[in-house]
Amino acid sequence: MSADPRFDAAVYDRFPTNDDRPEGELEQLEQAWCGPRKPWEWITAINNNYVGVYYVGAAMLFFVLAGVLALLMRTQLALPMTGFLAQETYNQIFTMHGTVMMFLFAVPAVEALGVLLLPQMLGARDLPFPRLSAYAFWAYLIGGLCFFASLFFGLAPNGGWFMYPPLTSTTYSPGINADFWLLGIGFIEISAIAGAIEIIVGVLKTRAPGMTLDKLPIFAWAMLIFACMIIIAFPSIILSTLLLELERALGWPFFDAAKGGDPMLWQHLFWFFGHPEVYIIFLPAAGAMSTIIPAVAQTRLVGHRLVVLAMLATGFISFGVWSHHMFTTGMPQISINYFSAASMAVSVPAGVQVFAWIATLAAGRMRFNTPGLFAVGGLVIFVMGGLTGVMVAMVPFDWQAHDSYFIVAHLHYVLIGGMVFPLFAAIYYWTPMSSSRPLSERWGKWIFWLMFIGHNVTFLPMHLTGLMGMPRRVYTYLPDRGWELPNMISTVGSFLFGLAVLLWAVDMLRNFRPFGKKDAGNVFNGPGLEWLPSGRYSLRSIPVIKSLYPGWDQPDLARDVEAGRYFLPGAPRGQRETIVTSPITAEPQYLQTLPRPSSWHVWGAVFTAGFFLILTIQAYAASVISGLLAIYCILKWCWRLDRPSGPAKVDVGAGVRLPTYVSGPSSHGWWAMVITLIVGGMVAIMACFSYIFLWSRRPDLWQSPPDLGSLPLTLILLAAAGVGGWAAQASLKLDRPRSAAIAAVLMLVASLAAGGAFAAEASAWWNSGLRPDASSQGATVYALLAWQGLFVGIGLLMGPFALLRWLFGLVSPRHPATFELIALFLAFTAAQGAATTLLVRLFPGVTA
Amino acid sequence: MKTEPTPGTAGWPPPVLDPAGPFAGPIQTVAWVLFVMAAVVMVVVMVALGVALFGPRKWKRRVGGERLIWIAGLAFPVVVLTGLLIYGLTTTARVAEAPKPGEMRVRVTGEMWWWRVAYLDDQGREILQDANEVHIPAGRPVVFELESADVIHSFWVPRLGGKTDMIPGRRNFMRLQADAPGTYGGQCAEYCGGPHALMGLVVVAHAPKDYAAWLSKQARPAAAVPSPQEPLALIAQGRNVFNASGCAACHTIRGTEANGLAGPDLTHVGSRQTLGAGILPNNQGTMAGWISDSQALKPGNRMPSYPVLTGQDLRAVSAYLESLK
Amino acid sequence: MAKTRGMASGLLAPGLLAFALSACVDKADLPRPVAQGDAAEGLAIIREVGCAACHKIPGVAWPEGRSGGGLAGFGAKPLIAGRLPNQSDVLVQWLIDAPSLDPGTAMPPMPLTRDQARDVAAYLYTLDED
Repeated sequence: MSADPRFDAAVYDRFPTNDDRPEGELEQLEQAWCGPRKPWEWITAINNNYVGVYYVGAAMLFFVLAGVLALLMRTQLALPMTGFLAQETYNQIFTMHGTVMMFLFAVPAVEALGVLLLPQMLGARDLPFPRLSAYAFWAYLIGGLCFFASLFFGLAPNGGWFMYPPLTSTTYSPGINADFWLLGIGFIEISAIAGAIEIIVGVLKTRAPGMTLDKLPIFAWAMLIFACMIIIAFPSIILSTLLLELERALGWPFFDAAKGGDPMLWQHLFWFFGHPEVYIIFLPAAGAMSTIIPAVAQTRLVGHRLVVLAMLATGFISFGVWSHHMFTTGMPQISINYFSAASMAVSVPAGVQVFAWIATLAAGRMRFNTPGLFAVGGLVIFVMGGLTGVMVAMVPFDWQAHDSYFIVAHLHYVLIGGMVFPLFAAIYYWTPMSSSRPLSERWGKWIFWLMFIGHNVTFLPMHLTGLMGMPRRVYTYLPDRGWELPNMISTVGSFLFGLAVLLWAVDMLRNFRPFGKKDAGNVFNGPGLEWLPSGRYSLRSIPVIKSLYPGWDQPDLARDVEAGRYFLPGAPRGQRETIVTSPITAEPQYLQTLPRPSSWHVWGAVFTAGFFLILTIQAYAASVISGLLAIYCILKWCWRLDRPSGPAKVDVGAGVRLPTYVSGPSSHGWWAMVITLIVGGMVAIMACFSYIFLWSRRPDLWQSPPDLGSLPLTLILLAAAGVGGWAAQASLKLDRPRSAAIAAVLMLVASLAAGGAFAAEASAWWNSGLRPDASSQGATVYALLAWQGLFVGIGLLMGPFALLRWLFGLVSPRHPATFELIALFLAFTAAQGAATTLLVRLFPGVTA
Repeated sequence: MKTEPTPGTAGWPPPVLDPAGPFAGPIQTVAWVLFVMAAVVMVVVMVALGVALFGPRKWKRRVGGERLIWIAGLAFPVVVLTGLLIYGLTTTARVAEAPKPGEMRVRVTGEMWWWRVAYLDDQGREILQDANEVHIPAGRPVVFELESADVIHSFWVPRLGGKTDMIPGRRNFMRLQADAPGTYGGQCAEYCGGPHALMGLVVVAHAPKDYAAWLSKQARPAAAVPSPQEPLALIAQGRNVFNASGCAACHTIRGTEANGLAGPDLTHVGSRQTLGAGILPNNQGTMAGWISDSQALKPGNRMPSYPVLTGQDLRAVSAYLESLK
Repeated sequence: MAKTRGMASGLLAPGLLAFALSACVDKADLPRPVAQGDAAEGLAIIREVGCAACHKIPGVAWPEGRSGGGLAGFGAKPLIAGRLPNQSDVLVQWLIDAPSLDPGTAMPPMPLTRDQARDVAAYLYTLDED
């Protein structure tokens, strides 16, 4: 983590170099990074310049689709008791509007922005796991489109985007509509987490040399916090969707009050994800605002450090406010007071950011271009949303406003002001980076004003509609309630908004020309690295960063970068490569080989989406086949990893020689594995919480755990798994004759030990007579077992995988990364197994 | 006779800002305090923004530094929010006072998509059942025990107080009070599937002595009160039709053989103000329309349409039900 | 089942009769019935009483009851309920107490005063489009 004592910062003084670049170096770089030529190669492309644009495009497609749903709803609600949409259709549409906006638009859109912008801003050639982002993208696009299409067959979910059981249990939602939601969201969660891992490792490990954390662009800060929040928050929704699907498919009573379950468990799990989710969406957009506002005002962000601290504070506090969605559920007074206070506290960092933006505008001189208008308009709308947010944090007021149209108004002010307007600002601001033509300024201003007015005409009256007593999620309302006029005004406003989006789409079609030889360049005179001249390989050479605003502060930067006078001016081994740096001080550590395009991740994505979607329609055999194919594709993809070639060290410019292979804690793979395991651990922690929560509801239903005599065997096997994995990679590194063989066999044995521990524990519970569908205890115990079983199953793929690699001669003591990562995984699996086993065995222990 | 609109949530004046009891009043005060707070903050932000964008250079210099963030972005909100929080917590404690022994209790159970109402005695035993209409004495707090029979619903009568969810497996309490006799509209506020939009409710507050009379009348078994136009014979025919057509399988009419439990109690249905859970006025005509085609009036509700009844039978059964005052 | 058929044919026969009558009478020549009432007030009363729980009535968005016939074009129809002459005094009586004119009808007596019934009749006579 900390600075390497052997690193000498004096090497930075060697740059920019003065020597002429050798003949053919640029051609070799271009050759390594060449874009797609054949049609299929557009699909297998993994470079972020392509995938990032696809990703943003897909997110905007879902924005438009969900927006059309909104217009349908507004048409239905323009007049009381109209028959434009049938009740069931409306219920499906409002569910899909929320779900698509949150899961298929907002999170992917900001993630897409990160994939597209981060390598450019950080001076990296690409993100560290380009194939993973491509996989995440394709799983999201295919799955998302199929999920959306369920609407056309009347099979779309209809339980609201929050899916509260028991309305969504099989008793009250017997159709497969709810399963579409639960499984459809499944792969979107996977793709969000894949993106988050990518972003965390990218921001921490692939910055340009010298870009210490205090020189990290504010947008990258925002994306880093965003990605960390996904890692903490998404496990909760993963777990809740798993539990509800288990209850629906197999009758395990997590939420069924008759068998000791509790509908409130869902609300806690859902909102532990759902509220941070709002900030997950907001933070990257705020980061974009903090980037765009200094550019339009042509001055530095006032209070940069305060803004970073504010974003960190937002991230922390946002995990302590989830229950403010539940003030009306009869929670104890003490919890209500706490969550009320936390909900108010979370608005303070937002205030800090707002006034930092205003101070920046005052310090500079605002240019009223389209990105500037969208940024300032978003600021105004967001402040209004924040103020109504403070109102609903006041518990007594929330008791009236909750679930009324006041909330509909509040959340749209927050999300449209805090995310949609900044996103449009970002689109107008960064289009010249990707497209050979900027978007039209004249159109942009029209679009802004239409959208700003449309937004306020739609949502301002809704505050009143709510106070007038209109509940939300109603497919119609009775005449003579006095709600006709505000509803009609809202409908008119929504069509103005729709018109703005339509004009924007036309503007995109007219002007957006990505993937060209040249881009439009730094139209707005932004200070970031993303505005340096670049090709598909990003920057010609990776500069030494000496300022937070290198484009403004480092003269001649563009010229020197383009002339190849900084790090890595070519592709010395003819491969795609980027420099990996240390997480805090950004000292160059090694040269990472990036993958080339391939089709395995695409097929992997197709079959992953297929697995979940086919499972929904209950074609189990086909679904399993699709799942197996997905595993096969992913294993094929992994098979190509960790295969170093070429010299062990190469010159990356000015005589600086970097290793081309690193394992252990400074490697990007180690970081990704650790983050993945944190996700797994969070799911396990939330499952343990569920176990304790349900016990506290109905301790009388709890039966005694299996006899403790069987516990030592489980624990010994788990210890064997953890220690065996560690011993395997350690023996590999000893580099003695046959140490590779011993390592491979040890790894296999360790994975089998993990499997044995699982089997022992599962059979002990089964023999104790507890059944998963009998009580909440059975449901949660077996859910914890199932989660452990998933890890054991993956471990049982990894053990033989290690052995196979040895058989094929792919294991070498100098390249232990694969073995290290498998050992890490097995150690985690063993620890997780031990922790969950001890919990369910010892707490609450033997009952009378 | 003067006809009145179906009682329900009236949009104007906004019921949240038109409280009718001590559990809604403080919330109205909170609301106005919050509106003023929001207006003040909005003005502060807009002035700062206006200066930042269009102000003279001297003013801009004062705004364009970290000091603004410390003062307006940090200190100002912390002070305002701390004040609000203290005010909010005390109001919460006041409005959400725990039920006291001896207070009148009513149990309301949310069902898809209507309300089962039970009046309880001092020991918490059920005195009588009713549906979709809660009668309370004015001028004293009433404890509502809120439960659900199926999915989550939320009980909301905005002029009397905030809302409280009805959650399967749990019992929530809420105290409400109407200061003056009158009719107060309410509705389900938590999405509960299908026709959630059409799940209304009426709370009727009586002067205390009228309430006692109402309760004792309500406690009596069904009594047909013939109208000038509908002869007793027709009402008797209606009762036969009611039982012969299967209505009694779901509905109870105390004092008769009808004892179904799935649907609303109809013992005194003729005296209710609305039909279909707060969506239609209640008279013999709407009753006939509801019976013969409730699915057209409230799509998805649990009562099947009965188009099989002949005209005369339909009229008889509607006359019978309307006679149950 | 028998009951269904009975009711269906009971509705069908007068319906056919009414259709036949309206077909052979030239609408333009038909003297338009009038009622001394306030049509606007009538519409308000229709909404408050809930006539639309059984009849689809132009001008009333909801409900759209299906159990009694729709009333679009009522002003131009020669018969009330397919069997009584469509005259204002008959209509007013029908609205207040339909069974007194036709004991077999499903239409119950409605809680209307004579003045209110006149207003309602006035509104119904404004409905002349099908």
